[in-house]
Amino acid sequence: MKEVMAIVRMNMMNKTKKALLEAGVSSMTAREALGRGKGLVDYSLLEGAEKGYEEAIAQLGHSQRLIPKRVVFVVVPDKLMDATVKAIMKVNRTGKSGDGKIFVFPVLDSISVRTAESGEAVLDEV
Amino acid sequence: MIMIRSIVRPDKVDDVLAALMEAGFPSVTKISVVGRGKQRGIKIGEITYDEIPKELLLTVVQDQDRDYVIKTVIKAARTGVKGAYGDGKIFVTPVLEVYTISSGIRETSSGEIEEVKI
Repeated sequence: MKEVMAIVRMNMMNKTKKALLEAGVSSMTAREALGRGKGLVDYSLLEGAEKGYEEAIAQLGHSQRLIPKRVVFVVVPDKLMDATVKAIMKVNRTGKSGDGKIFVFPVLDSISVRTAESGEAVLDEV
Repeated sequence: MIMIRSIVRPDKVDDVLAALMEAGFPSVTKISVVGRGKQRGIKIGEITYDEIPKELLLTVVQDQDRDYVIKTVIKAARTGVKGAYGDGKIFVTPVLEVYTISSGIRETSSGEIEEVKI
């Protein structure tokens, strides 16, 4: 079992939901989040701060705002993981920075609250 | 790779974000959450508040940067020198794979980097 956590653009949510359904993943959790990525770093500023210029240090951490994003969580059986990741990547790619990241975590067990079933029986079938 | 989930006070979030930027770890995702800790919430008079607002910060870093990032977060999120109840917790989880959507680059926990075709 794997947990796929994808951070995507707000306006791509509908496409992502559709793509997940087509990939055979029906269950998902989504949340609003704020964030920033490595694309926004001003390396000249960082370098200046490392050298100890006060002007550069004063600007650190305040120059960039956090960008609103959506986080999608899906737990899938091992076999479906590749298809899920590819489906998310395909619809979310515009080629510009800010498209998002996908993280894959191991999951020890999943249990259905209603039926108390556990293991892969709770997840989407391949 | 490792994901560091830090639950911190809402008023300390800006300090933590600035500290992380200064330490060279700009990528962060922030989610507002409510929760309670070991102290079972805050009791003021008759009323117990057990849904205390906090901010959850998600950062994914390389294995060798783990201790440094954790120390940076602790330093920035602690109130006063000794700290106080409610300063938060940090959880560390393993990350198996990381994909960058815009380029399709895949990084695995063993350090391999390759481009995925879709």
